[in-house]
Amino acid sequence: MRGLMYQLKSVWKDKFCIMSFLLPIIVALTLNFIGGIDLSPVSEFHFGVLENDLSAETVSWLERYGSVAVYESQEELITAINEPSTNMIGVKADGRSIQTMVSGDELDLFRQTADTLPSLYMGRENAKQISLTVLKRPDMMAGLQNIFIAMTLIVAMFMGCTFNAMNMISEKENGIDLVNQILPMTQSGYVMQKISVGFTGGCLSAVLTACCYFRLPVKHAILMLTLIILSAFTAALIGLFIGKFSESLMEGVVYIKIIMIIFMAVPLVSYLLGARGLISVFCYFVPSSASFEGIMNLADSNKPVIAKDIFILAAHGIIWFLLYLLISKWQKKHA
Amino acid sequence: MWKNFCSLFRKDCQMMLDGKFFLVTFGSLMIYTLFINFGYVNFMNAELYNVYLFDPQGTQQGISELIAPVTSLEELNTVLSEDVNGVGIDASSGTPDIVFYFGSEKADHHRADYALSLLRQDKQYTARTVGTNTPELKKRKEMSCELLFIEIIAVGFLGIASVLFKEKQMGVIRVHAVLPFNKSLFIVSKIMVFLLSDLIFAGWMTVLNIGFHDAAGILPNVLVQTAILSLIMSLTGFGCTLLLKDFRQFSLVYLVIAIFAAAPVFLSANTSVKMAWIDWHPFYHVYMGLKNACFGVPVTNPVYYLCSVCGIVILFQIVQTAFHKEMGKEG
Repeated sequence: MRGLMYQLKSVWKDKFCIMSFLLPIIVALTLNFIGGIDLSPVSEFHFGVLENDLSAETVSWLERYGSVAVYESQEELITAINEPSTNMIGVKADGRSIQTMVSGDELDLFRQTADTLPSLYMGRENAKQISLTVLKRPDMMAGLQNIFIAMTLIVAMFMGCTFNAMNMISEKENGIDLVNQILPMTQSGYVMQKISVGFTGGCLSAVLTACCYFRLPVKHAILMLTLIILSAFTAALIGLFIGKFSESLMEGVVYIKIIMIIFMAVPLVSYLLGARGLISVFCYFVPSSASFEGIMNLADSNKPVIAKDIFILAAHGIIWFLLYLLISKWQKKHA
Repeated sequence: MWKNFCSLFRKDCQMMLDGKFFLVTFGSLMIYTLFINFGYVNFMNAELYNVYLFDPQGTQQGISELIAPVTSLEELNTVLSEDVNGVGIDASSGTPDIVFYFGSEKADHHRADYALSLLRQDKQYTARTVGTNTPELKKRKEMSCELLFIEIIAVGFLGIASVLFKEKQMGVIRVHAVLPFNKSLFIVSKIMVFLLSDLIFAGWMTVLNIGFHDAAGILPNVLVQTAILSLIMSLTGFGCTLLLKDFRQFSLVYLVIAIFAAAPVFLSANTSVKMAWIDWHPFYHVYMGLKNACFGVPVTNPVYYLCSVCGIVILFQIVQTAFHKEMGKEG
């Protein structure tokens, strides 16, 4: 216990670790209190029209679906449609109907919208009389913002690897590692201390980040805590591997960067692309996939089913731990 | 002077080779190329919403083939809860009732009207195409440009630190104080190594991912923008390395640049989210310059180039001052 206190003290003095600890919390606070970035324009359509071309009634009909930008000349309108960062649909009057223009390089969603817009326009009177039932989505996290939140939480959970990896590497660089070898400390005691350092840091950071975002009922909070604990434990084990295999600080930083990128990219890409079947099974080889799925599940539904994710994370924890022990044993034998 | 520069340049190249910098760059090029050619281009797509119809009495005639029929209300509820962007039409009472999960106000208007329009077969209309890019070419150009930007901002910035911190800690910089050559050569040679490496990277990245035929026309402009970004980043990296104490502090600055500087730029440049202050963000303009060059509409505004040159000159002056300070520490 005393050893652990020393370890934590040394981590506390490391600005890099403190920054890693605070980063997700700062992002969480910023997103929470400033209200986040307004992402609503992403889900809207953007229409470009010519000045004095469409009637005011048609323009306000278009505004029901998205934003309308007015251009003075045909050239300006075409340039705006071709602008690569937007998926603007050009709309022109065509007698009693309308014509649409697209750049031809957009996703199918926008092309199909442009193809069907004249038909929607012709049927606009009928559409007014239709009865609508809008079901409520759980509004805890809305739209794209929940991905931001889940990603920040993933960073906080897996940032734990930074603490013990940095701690081990700086010990190596300062020669403390050599001193440790002659101290009366068992290998398992050393491993436990290093895991505890990463685990404590990761857990604290993730819990604080989660507190900034969620007001969960007790049962869900316990599930979230289980996710955090298991993820932070896996992260601490990964940190142990990084610390063991990096010889210099720079090498360690590069490894951490690569791992963090993989841990963020794999769940994000598989979520956005809706990976199914074998690919989704492969994604679970990256522990953050299970955590990400668990967080989204917890936040999105009233009856979260995260037993599978907890099981996968627990399996990761056990496998990584056994692998570390095996490698250490093998190295000791061949030293 | 030329001879001095050549020997410095050779030494820097050797250091980068030893530090496996070129290997990392080559590895990134391979990974990016594989990702674009086999991943991004094939998987990234989005279709319009699915529409499901529950019509037990068959009241709706002449409906579009895009509508998927369901056999019970329970089934309709289940598919909608799985496909939350989908739209359901419940015609069990004879008149269609549109059911869907809330998305956003404006998108929902469109979803409802679109679902309704599918209930009657209109004649097929195709929107006029006014651009020259195909969806695949756009994806290739977009992703190549993004990865090129990330590579130069992140890897190049980190690369200069990995070389320079070694020299700084070994005292090589201070040794230069007594060497009989122009002190700026030390900076110029380093920057040149990174500039050349970035230009070669950009060239290959463009050719391999956009295709030789399409890349030929845009390559000169892409290289000009790459040069601007590369010079800014390597000079910033150089300055940070000289001003900061060790690699630990450097990685903090790196983290700040990578997350806080690059994220809003990507958000503004690739989506329709426009933040009011983004015009003040220098990286935004450089990124847009690169992106426009990739899409064959290079920036022609002289103010942009003037500001870039001024920025590079100012950064060079700062780096030179820091370099002299570092040399003078033992002088």
